[in-house]
Amino acid sequence: MNLASLLSKDRVNLSLKPGKKDDVISDLVYSIRKGNDAALIVSTLLKREELGSTGIGKGIAIPHCRSLAVEKLEIAVGRTNKPINFNAIDKKPVSLIFLIIAPPQDPGNQYLITLGKIVQIAKEITKKNLIQKAKTPDEFIAMINEIEKSLTKRK
Amino acid sequence: MSDVVEMHLKLLFDLDNLIADTEEPSYKKMGFQLEEEASLVLVRKRNELLQQLPKEIAQIYEILKKRYRQAIAPVESEFCLGCFQKLPTELITRSQDITTCPNCGRILYWRKK
Repeated sequence: MNLASLLSKDRVNLSLKPGKKDDVISDLVYSIRKGNDAALIVSTLLKREELGSTGIGKGIAIPHCRSLAVEKLEIAVGRTNKPINFNAIDKKPVSLIFLIIAPPQDPGNQYLITLGKIVQIAKEITKKNLIQKAKTPDEFIAMINEIEKSLTKRK
Repeated sequence: MSDVVEMHLKLLFDLDNLIADTEEPSYKKMGFQLEEEASLVLVRKRNELLQQLPKEIAQIYEILKKRYRQAIAPVESEFCLGCFQKLPTELITRSQDITTCPNCGRILYWRKK
């Protein structure tokens, strides 16, 4: 499954409000779900963060979980102009966040495959110093598409 | 089923999925940092949630989890997404209480539209 096809421009917020880690995660979740569903997702995501930060280092975090609140794989992206503390692995602040929520029943385990793909793409973004490059959501999605293609070619 | 019980049940289910995913070999290879102690905290949290559920529901949940790994199945277009069998109409119309699939026995969950 092509990652760029899972992203829509209304799910890419390049001016996400900086704040505390929990609040930023919550803001991103509430941008795609409301009410009890959003509360359930936030609660599970924060439990996941208790296991260890999903801040994978060099400015990127990938909070993720499965939840009954979604019917299909949902991805949202947020970028803050000011980096925030995410207790990341390398202790460095984070400014690009990929949020992934998957349904519990997931034929072919697309969730873990997609999560793995996002980790790879995130590593390319940091390697090429592209975190702040895209100026618009369309540019961001095009960038992801390009990275994904280059990774596929490499295999 | 009250809203509180439903919320506890859903959170328990999501936590169980979280624990299961972090134990997958492909997940471990991704490079996410996992602290062993935190994992124990999570298991404790799920056990606490289990105890907060009415005894009967907690028992059903644990039996189904052992049998299927996932005790709850969402309902979509009148189908149980656990076993993909069409549900009888009378079941669809009384979706307020805890209901199990007549075919596989999983606890059914109707997503709010």
